Amino acid sequence: MSTETEAKTETHGSVETDRQKEVLEAVKNAASCVGKAWPLHSFVTANPLAGFEDEPFHEATERAKSIFGAKGYPEASVLRKALEDGRIEEDILRRKLSESGYGTELEPARLLDGVDEETETTDPYPEEWEEVDAVLTKWLAVFFDQGRAEWSMPNREEGFYAAWRGVARYDGQLPDAPDLPDSPVAAVETFVSEYPKERWESILRSHFASLPGWTALVRWRAESDDAWQSEYPITLVGYLAVRLAVTDALDAPIGVEVDDETKRESGGEKKLLRVWLEAWEQTHREKLTDAVSSEAKGTTDTKKRPDAQLVFCIDTRSEVIRRHIEKAGDYETHGYAGFFGIPMRYEGYDSDVAIDSHPPILKPEHRVYERPEGGNPEGKEKHDLWSKVGATTRRLAESLETNAATAFSYVEKAGIGYGAAMTARTLLPSRVYDVSDAIGSRLPGTEEFCTQTLDEGSCDSVSSEDDLPVGMSLGEKVEYAATAFELMGWEDFARLVVFAGHASQTTNNPFGSALDCGACAANPGGPNARVLAAICNDEKVRDELRDSGIEIPDDTVFVAGEHNTTTDEITLFDRDVPGSHREDIEDLREDLREAREGAAAERAGSMRATEEGTREVERRAADWAETRPEWGLAGNSSFVIGPRELTSGVNLDGRTFLHSYDPSTDPDGDALEAIMSGPMVVTQWINSQYYFASVDNSVYGSGSKVTQNPVGNFGVFQGNGGDVMTGLPLQSLDVADDEPYHQPVRLSVVINAPTDRVREILEDNGSLKTLVENGWLRLSVIDPEKGNSVVHYAESGFEELGVEAVAESTD
Amino acid sequence: MSSREKTVGECIGEPEWSEPVVVRVLTSGVWLLWLASIAVAAVYVYPGTTLSLGVEGIVAVDGLTVVMWSVVTFISGIVHSYSRRYMSGSRRMSGFFARIFAFTLVVMVLVASDSLALFGVAWLTMGLVMADLVGYSRGWKQAQKASRLARRYFVLSTAFLGVGLVSLWFGTGSTTVSGVLANHGAVSGPVYVVGVGALLGAAAVQSALVPFHGWLLSSMTAPTPASALMHAGFVNAGGVLLVRFSPVFTDSLVVMTAVVAVGAVGAVLGKLMKSVRPEIKSKLGCSTAGQMGFMVMQAGLGFFSAAVTHLILHGFYKAYLFLSSGDRVEHTSPGEDERASLGAGGIVAAVVVALLGGLLFAALTGKGAALDSGLVLVLLVVLTAAHATRDAVRTSLSPGVRFVAAPVVFLSAVAVYAGVFEAVTAVMEAAPAPTAAGLPLIAEPTQLTAVHVVVAVAFVAAYVAIEFGHIRRSDRLYVALLNASQPSSETVLTNKEEYNEY
Repeated sequence: MSTETEAKTETHGSVETDRQKEVLEAVKNAASCVGKAWPLHSFVTANPLAGFEDEPFHEATERAKSIFGAKGYPEASVLRKALEDGRIEEDILRRKLSESGYGTELEPARLLDGVDEETETTDPYPEEWEEVDAVLTKWLAVFFDQGRAEWSMPNREEGFYAAWRGVARYDGQLPDAPDLPDSPVAAVETFVSEYPKERWESILRSHFASLPGWTALVRWRAESDDAWQSEYPITLVGYLAVRLAVTDALDAPIGVEVDDETKRESGGEKKLLRVWLEAWEQTHREKLTDAVSSEAKGTTDTKKRPDAQLVFCIDTRSEVIRRHIEKAGDYETHGYAGFFGIPMRYEGYDSDVAIDSHPPILKPEHRVYERPEGGNPEGKEKHDLWSKVGATTRRLAESLETNAATAFSYVEKAGIGYGAAMTARTLLPSRVYDVSDAIGSRLPGTEEFCTQTLDEGSCDSVSSEDDLPVGMSLGEKVEYAATAFELMGWEDFARLVVFAGHASQTTNNPFGSALDCGACAANPGGPNARVLAAICNDEKVRDELRDSGIEIPDDTVFVAGEHNTTTDEITLFDRDVPGSHREDIEDLREDLREAREGAAAERAGSMRATEEGTREVERRAADWAETRPEWGLAGNSSFVIGPRELTSGVNLDGRTFLHSYDPSTDPDGDALEAIMSGPMVVTQWINSQYYFASVDNSVYGSGSKVTQNPVGNFGVFQGNGGDVMTGLPLQSLDVADDEPYHQPVRLSVVINAPTDRVREILEDNGSLKTLVENGWLRLSVIDPEKGNSVVHYAESGFEELGVEAVAESTD
Repeated sequence: MSSREKTVGECIGEPEWSEPVVVRVLTSGVWLLWLASIAVAAVYVYPGTTLSLGVEGIVAVDGLTVVMWSVVTFISGIVHSYSRRYMSGSRRMSGFFARIFAFTLVVMVLVASDSLALFGVAWLTMGLVMADLVGYSRGWKQAQKASRLARRYFVLSTAFLGVGLVSLWFGTGSTTVSGVLANHGAVSGPVYVVGVGALLGAAAVQSALVPFHGWLLSSMTAPTPASALMHAGFVNAGGVLLVRFSPVFTDSLVVMTAVVAVGAVGAVLGKLMKSVRPEIKSKLGCSTAGQMGFMVMQAGLGFFSAAVTHLILHGFYKAYLFLSSGDRVEHTSPGEDERASLGAGGIVAAVVVALLGGLLFAALTGKGAALDSGLVLVLLVVLTAAHATRDAVRTSLSPGVRFVAAPVVFLSAVAVYAGVFEAVTAVMEAAPAPTAAGLPLIAEPTQLTAVHVVVAVAFVAAYVAIEFGHIRRSDRLYVALLNASQPSSETVLTNKEEYNEY
């Protein structure tokens, strides 16, 4: 592809000299202060401070304050409220305060007086940059646009720097047309050459940090193989070259540096907030480990074969529905990463975009298409007709709205229709749900007449678009199935095994994808569940599994499903279930309905419900005026890796990620290592995103939905434009302006495994060890070899509870 | 399975926030106002009715008043009901409802004013309330700047209006709208030119016509429902002003032609600016500027009730799009849509449906039935019909759908529009007014001038240039449109830490 080579040109310009290599190096290092941000249609909940994870949490927040002007800790009012409500236990707080040298004479809450003013942040960059930012964001918005503007920025295919150079001479906002070299690296070099080399990185960092949202998007896009990037390439150095050129043209200063070292070590109000945060975390962690370890000691039941086993995503929302399913009948539930171990790039039948349906820390290894080859041609015809009519109508309306000569007449002819729709959606949101539900149940879904291309050679063996193999080999299929059962520690199988992916259902919600499955990179998890179910039903796969010691009984049938996290409805994709298991399916359906009602009622209780549970969640799914359709992962605070028996007697209030694991079937720790380096890292990303968006929503979140302005299908602005807002909106985090729902605490990870096994895994995986040592998550172990006693990880490593726990440092 | 169930750290209990009482009261209030407006409208159109509401010299409720009351209270009712859920949890929710309700009342006063002074005061108040809503987030610097910018524009439009009203008062010696309209023939010479020009200026600012669109495109700091109200209610004031004083405008063909020119320029430029913007709300803003241009053009062509109909239907359309602006984030892939070729059958179908559409429009609405300015409007309907049919025919749907369903849908839409148009016209005509001379005009097509021909040619040229992509060849035009539609720099959030939702 010719665009590939253009992308390369944009990447490296023509790097001719060593000096230019040094420039590139400085650019790369400077940009790493900003985490990556994914486009909004695939909202990945990542740590905005990912670039600082190699530093201790408390130093990172301090540096971020210097560089971005961001707060790093909850506000005093949030902490006080947590103390009042007992979420922070006063004894723990007092002990920690006195250990850190705070006097005991004052009430702890009084210590926080004035702390918010001390943490007040200001813009670290010069005022002249506001104009620079305004010009730059104008061009970035039109360059990044993914199909909203009918008339796109000219010559985008040449890359950002070249395209901008082409139009800059007409831009009246710049006093005179800049005269620049062809290569962006050379351009950056000219601008920094008047400064000594050792200052380059910190100067460039200031420029990247001035618009952190845009930098984060550029960082993501430059490193991805996204279709928009291959068509219209942008690179960090190209972006920076434009920025420096605009800065220069507007006579704004270039050599700006921010001191992020002096404050880093200083204490002050920071240390106090740190103690409060740690007291909060310790309270939570102790409650959790107490509850869980007492469960662990109490379990001695002998297993009988359950009616069905249901596997859900580790997502916190699964915890609620799992509890209710277990109550509804003789069911066993399990937690596994919701992409079901399948690293695929997936293209649905109706879709013209391929999605990477796996965690963003992995690379896709297979391309899977959904093809209409599963029989049921009537279903296909009906589906096609209506989706075509829908698409045509939308396209026609768009085309009429677009043309200057037809738009006026269109508005007059269609106005009444808009008025009617507006009235129905505003005054009768529950009826709108009923209508769309009725339509949905009459129209066949794609899974009813399509199959996924799983077999090698079922069509072209390699995808023409990205050279990924289509489908997978028998060996790979066996591996995916075996991995699932090994990680979850399974040895027995019920007659029915359900793999339930999950997806959300919301309307008028730019953040809809943030509510979908995080393990599938913010996409619905149903397709992945279908892949694994099909693999496990494959006789050849079962034969191979048998040879490697995994015995799946002949009467076991695997079924895929999808859990709608907004309404708690669970759809079973049962087309291929044999007649022998029909009755099992119907019984299960009945019980899932019952479980759904219980779960919906529980969740509605936390959402200011105006109607009874099921009706309330249905309304929220279809209501265009609803800014809080569901809580998503808000509230997440912990991750338990262990058998369900540890947690099944406890209501974890949808705050805990659950991954099934059996320490007794994993003597060498391979399964645990996989869980810790995959799911645990992802949950830490999610938790960090929620933490930072809660403590400083302006910088790390995206503000109130009420004033958001979606831009170019890739992001949202606040108000008129400027920097892209990259994190979660306020309404995903709070019940009301003064009533937070999410509690900003770092993730407590509880692992049911021998301490030595966990210690070894940390030793073997430097990046995991750094994460734990630097306090980006809080690790505890429930050690089955020591009678399930609790061991916390602290500064100096693992410490037995009771002996060294008191000495646990607050630093 | 264990029967006991412990809870670990439940997130929160029952949420504590509850909706302020005033929110429910005002929402009920605005819907009651709507019912009352409908009732008045019903009485007014009832044959032989003699009811006439008003206070001599201050307030006069006529057909235009009743139409605007019904529409504004309806849109406001929707916005109130929507905001009860959308703004839920907001610390200043009562303040928000107080403002949107107050806005509704002020608009109701404006359209019922007979006193020139009251008209001016309501005009200014309406602007101040709207500017305040743009700056709803008090602690957010950029929102405050945007609010200030809007306020400056509205003070300017009030100044224009003041000059216009004073000129009319000076020319006729009357302090009421009805008095001015009864004696409008007496205004002439420089006083007429200044007065009418100033009124047109006031309308252009309020309706955000190019080059007065700056405030509108910098107003996205307003909460979404406030924007819906702005684009479906506030900007209509320009049209109301033109219709209210329509007899004064129709006195001069030159003035009417100027109105057409101002409107047409705004219409085409608004649409062109929209095409380069990637932000949803900003696109809607440009679109409003263009649609208001078209509405002013309709007034300039002499079709006043058509302009009012356009206000109403555009209000529905634009309020809907604002309230659903969160829906506009899709995963797309680069590249153009591929479409089937048109074929001879398609061309025939497009031409036939276009002509049928034009004929039906002319027959049902009376616009363009004679050789006058109405032909310009028919031309646009014909273009739209041709475009719609062509696009429908090019799809891969079955011939039955393409050649039968699509034209039927389009022609029915023309008929529905005609129905709304007739209803609006009927209410505007039927209402008794204090003095017959005080009524705004319904339709008084002007004769065709060279300007009309130029406007018609410009629309066709714009159609062709956009459709075939000629326009995209000019990078210079692209940058000019982008910069012209750019919000004021000081209202743009370039430092995220300055954002503050309260």
